[in-house]
This record gives sequence, structure tokens and C-alpha cells, in this order.
Amino acid sequence: MTRVPMEGKVLNENDRAAAELRAEFARHGVFAVNLISSPGSGKTALLERTLESYDRGRRVAVLTGDIQTDADAARLARYGFPVRQITTAGACHLDARMIRRALEGWDLAAIDLLFIENVGNLVCPTSYDLGEACKIVLLSVTEGEEKPLKYPGIFFKSELMLLTKIDLLPYVPFDIDVAEANARTIHPEIQIARLSCTTKEGLDEWLRWIDARALGGMKAAPELVR
Amino acid sequence: MHEVGIANGILDAVRKETEARKPARAVKVGVRIGEMAGIDPQSLAFSFEVLVKGSDLEPLDLAIEPGVLDELEFAYLELEVP
Repeated sequence: MTRVPMEGKVLNENDRAAAELRAEFARHGVFAVNLISSPGSGKTALLERTLESYDRGRRVAVLTGDIQTDADAARLARYGFPVRQITTAGACHLDARMIRRALEGWDLAAIDLLFIENVGNLVCPTSYDLGEACKIVLLSVTEGEEKPLKYPGIFFKSELMLLTKIDLLPYVPFDIDVAEANARTIHPEIQIARLSCTTKEGLDEWLRWIDARALGGMKAAPELVR
Repeated sequence: MHEVGIANGILDAVRKETEARKPARAVKVGVRIGEMAGIDPQSLAFSFEVLVKGSDLEPLDLAIEPGVLDELEFAYLELEVP
């Protein structure tokens, strides 16, 4: 029996495809964001409010992933920006090859900002690089404040945590400060913003963050750390 | 759930690696998985077992070692040389 060292990442194939995408995004000046959360945390609602706030001339596009149905694409297409649905037919996450296929026929040079709405799942999307510039995790106040501790991977890899549905705080036993502290236990540098897509509280702060981040990188993003 | 895909990726890599080392055959593959990798080791071990069964690589063992943070990398391959 001989033991030989074996090198490389287990997800080598995906990482290679993701690296190609990242290079392509860079070449065309596309800022790509990977939105990840549990099902029902408000990813689509966030995108609705975001697209609704943009001028028609804004060069933004959306890829939205689900296991089945094109319901989300239909919801998001109403705002007049390019939207494509990716149905994974059972797969619990998007991978880089799905993104590449979904982008076929789109002129990347005409897109500045690309939102990728991942399949609702806090675990599996964590492992798959999509060539994005940053991952953003959403946590709604109707979930538990211990989520960052239970699913550390995604909170560790996300630049920003959006605490959503804050209009419901009076009605749910969710301690938002504990949720933030838990996220920082896992990832001390994570940035945090609170918002409600119903009342639009905090929405401007989110819009400013994404603009600044897309334009000038992380350092240009407004300080959100409380 | 995505552990099946990960297990498949491991098998593909083992296949490629042993192809280059014929006639040796792989008996065990070691991977390092960090706590932040978003991989459940038990689920991966189970998926791996199911996929190996009846495949050209049977019998093949998987050894999972703790890795650093979000590490998800190969560590070693054990070969049997006839």
C-alpha cells in the first residue's frame, strides 16, 4: 500500500467554471452578487423593491434560481429589466455552469450589475462559487437568531448580512441584537443592515451599499457596522 | 443534499488520478473539510458509499479529516500496487 499526496480542491470543475465567469465579469465590468438565504427570507421581495427603485436606464439584470417554476422570474420581469429563471429540476443550489448557460445570448457589456438569486437554501449554495464579487446572506426575523451558529458556512463567506422583515419584530420573539452578535461570532468582519421590504425601512441604506460596493469595492461601501 | 455532487466530484478526481498510475488501484481517498465548508461529513460519507457501490472504483474508502475554515480539498490517495 502506498500513499500519495493528492492536491486540489474537491470542487475543481465548478471552481474552474467560476474563475472563467469571474474573469468575464471583470472584462465587461459586471458586478455580480450572489444572494443566499433560507426559502421565504425575502430574496425576491428584496429584488422587487430594488428593481422598482431603479431608473429604466439602469444596466441591471437578474438570474433567479429555483428548483421548479418560473414564478420568480415572472414577478421580477415586471420592472422591465432583463430577468432569466434558472430551474434546477431538483438541485438544491446553483453552480457555475448553470450561470454560464443562463447568460448565453446576453451582452455582458450592457450589464453593470447582476443579481443572482440562489435557490432558497442556507447550506448547499455555500460551497458553489458562481464567479460573483460577493455573497450576501439574508436572515428574516421570522427565523431564529441562532441561524448564524447553526449554518456557519454561509455567514462566514458573506460580506453582508441583511436582516429582513424587521417590520415584524414587534410580533415575533426574535432578538435582533443576539442575531447580529451570533453572525459576528462566526464572521467578525461581516457587515450588517436591517430592512423591511414592506415598509421600506432600511431600503435606502441597502441601495447605497450596493451602489458603493459595485462602484468602488468594499472600502467604498458605507459603514454599516453598528 | 449537495453532498452527492461532492461525492461524485471526489470519484471523478480519483478516477483521473488512478488512470495515470495504472496498474495501481485506489483503495482510499483522504479529503480535508473545514467547519465552514457547508458540508455535512456524515452525509458525504453516506453519498460516497452509495455511489461507490457497484461502480468501477469499488471497494474504495473515504477518509474525512478536519480542515481549516472553509477548506474542501483533497489530502491523499492510497494505492494498492498489484
